[in-house]
Amino acid sequence: MIIFRNVSKIYFPERTVALANVSFEVLAGEFISIVGKSGTGKTTLVKILTAEERASEGQVVVGGWDITHIRSREVPYLRRQIGVVFQDYKLLQKKTVFENVAFAMQVIGARPSRIRKIVPEVLKIVGLADKHDRFPRHLSGGEQQRVAIARALAHGPKILVADEPTGNLDTATSQEIIELLLKINQIGTTVLFVSHDEGRVNQIRRRVLVLDQGTLTSDEAVGRYRLS
Amino acid sequence: MLVTIYRVIKFAWQGFWRNFWLSLVTVSIIALASLTVNALLALNVVADSAVTSLEQKIDVSIYFDPVVDTPKVKEVQDYLGKLSQVTAITLVTADDAMKEFRQRHARDAAILETLEELGDNPLGATLVVTAQHPSDYPEIIQVLNHSPYRDLVSDENYKDHQRTINEIRLIADRINQAGIAISALFVLIATLIVFNTIRVAIYTHRDEIGIMKLVGASNAFITAPFVLEGVLYALCATGLAVAVTFPLLNAVQPYLQDFFTGVPLDLAGYFRENFVAIFGSQLLGMSALNMVGSVFAVRRYLKV
Ligand SMILES: Nc1ncnc2c1ncn2[C@@H]1O[C@H](COP(=O)(O)OP(=O)(O)OP(=O)(O)O)[C@@H](O)[C@H]1O
Ligand SMILES: [Mg+2]
Repeated sequence: MIIFRNVSKIYFPERTVALANVSFEVLAGEFISIVGKSGTGKTTLVKILTAEERASEGQVVVGGWDITHIRSREVPYLRRQIGVVFQDYKLLQKKTVFENVAFAMQVIGARPSRIRKIVPEVLKIVGLADKHDRFPRHLSGGEQQRVAIARALAHGPKILVADEPTGNLDTATSQEIIELLLKINQIGTTVLFVSHDEGRVNQIRRRVLVLDQGTLTSDEAVGRYRLS
Repeated sequence: MLVTIYRVIKFAWQGFWRNFWLSLVTVSIIALASLTVNALLALNVVADSAVTSLEQKIDVSIYFDPVVDTPKVKEVQDYLGKLSQVTAITLVTADDAMKEFRQRHARDAAILETLEELGDNPLGATLVVTAQHPSDYPEIIQVLNHSPYRDLVSDENYKDHQRTINEIRLIADRINQAGIAISALFVLIATLIVFNTIRVAIYTHRDEIGIMKLVGASNAFITAPFVLEGVLYALCATGLAVAVTFPLLNAVQPYLQDFFTGVPLDLAGYFRENFVAIFGSQLLGMSALNMVGSVFAVRRYLKV
């Protein structure tokens, strides 16, 4: 589903090496965690996956599509296959929960009938069916992140990428979000979970990639990651 | 596709109202630019009528020596009448000239007295020549001056008119140049303000744009509402310009009519006749400018 082959990323003009010769492969249906200290290139990896950045070297393949030199015209089609959530939710404050999810579908040309069908479905998956007419500011952080996840699911992506989705949440809420991600993985979506929280990641008992200063230092089928 | 078009229009409409006051200022400035252009057009129409009216009034009077008798003058009249440039020649005989002179100075006792003392008619006959075109006059006079009749002529009064026409042309040109400069300035200001407004609109929508990019909306879909918003500004501004131009024209019309008596001058009529050409081209031009502006303004938000 995702292949990184000797991928390096150098940011100019400072020549910051964010990723150095990173190789790994994620199979369809996998749940994979990526951990590492701050500034080790986790977000950079996500950005290369969503074509927000291009790899300086190496090859990137998503769902059989070589996106290494993807044209900007084609980027929207890639993004419709990858759902992304971030630490800061990125919700529209002036739109309700329902409208936030619906907006993501509207802008890629979904029919109104489809929007009316899908939005309640994804809101049900994330457990917010009863709060569809609330505004984001009337929701807890965990609930806001659920809306973001619902939005990411709305166009039925094959891959869900979560870049530190629990970064702003307390332990119990974080746990709920991770359980939601696991549930989504069970439904059949490949999940890429980015975190710097060792304990949480090991708890999931799934595959873990460890990044350290841009290099892949460990790739364990079941996480045993320890911060040194 | 229809759904997409509907959404683009909806987003553009929302964008227009979301920054209502800014939209209003933008529309007003574009309308103002359009008005300056229209004022320039009106000025040209007025100048043209002024020149035309003067040209119509132009004729050349050829004064003959008092000693030249009427048959001889008639000969000259026939001679000049053969020229293709000449449209009409009126003969004013010495007696007619005298009569007219007396009439004009009927209340001036001193002049009448002097005439009595002179006894003889000091005035000669006059030929009033009208030509097709003002530029024909020098030629006609040229012909006359190279003819055998040349010595019969005491004077001709052509040059003064030419100077007046030239002066009017000069003034019109000057005003025109200033007008073009002012219009260009207004169009430039309008363009900058539109550009800025679109940037503000885009800035207001930056969260939406970010999410659109995130979920894979095409650049065309993201750009289209802003482009349309630019067109919407142009559309409203043209409407406003139309609504203001005609009452203004009607307001100045009576004054102009007074000033150019006898000249058919219908400003509002001119704008009505050329409505599509004038306002259509302004709408197109402004729309094009605004569209280019929006595309440029939105582009840097699309780079992610
Ligand atoms: N746009 C950019 N231009 C230049 N350097 C960048 C850019 N983005 C990231 N970097 C640098 O690349 C390195 C990796 O950054 P990245 O954001 O991928 O780290 P991260 O692992 O996501 O960190 P965190 O856990 O704090 O989110 C850092 O040194 C960062 O300063
Ligand atoms: Mg990061």
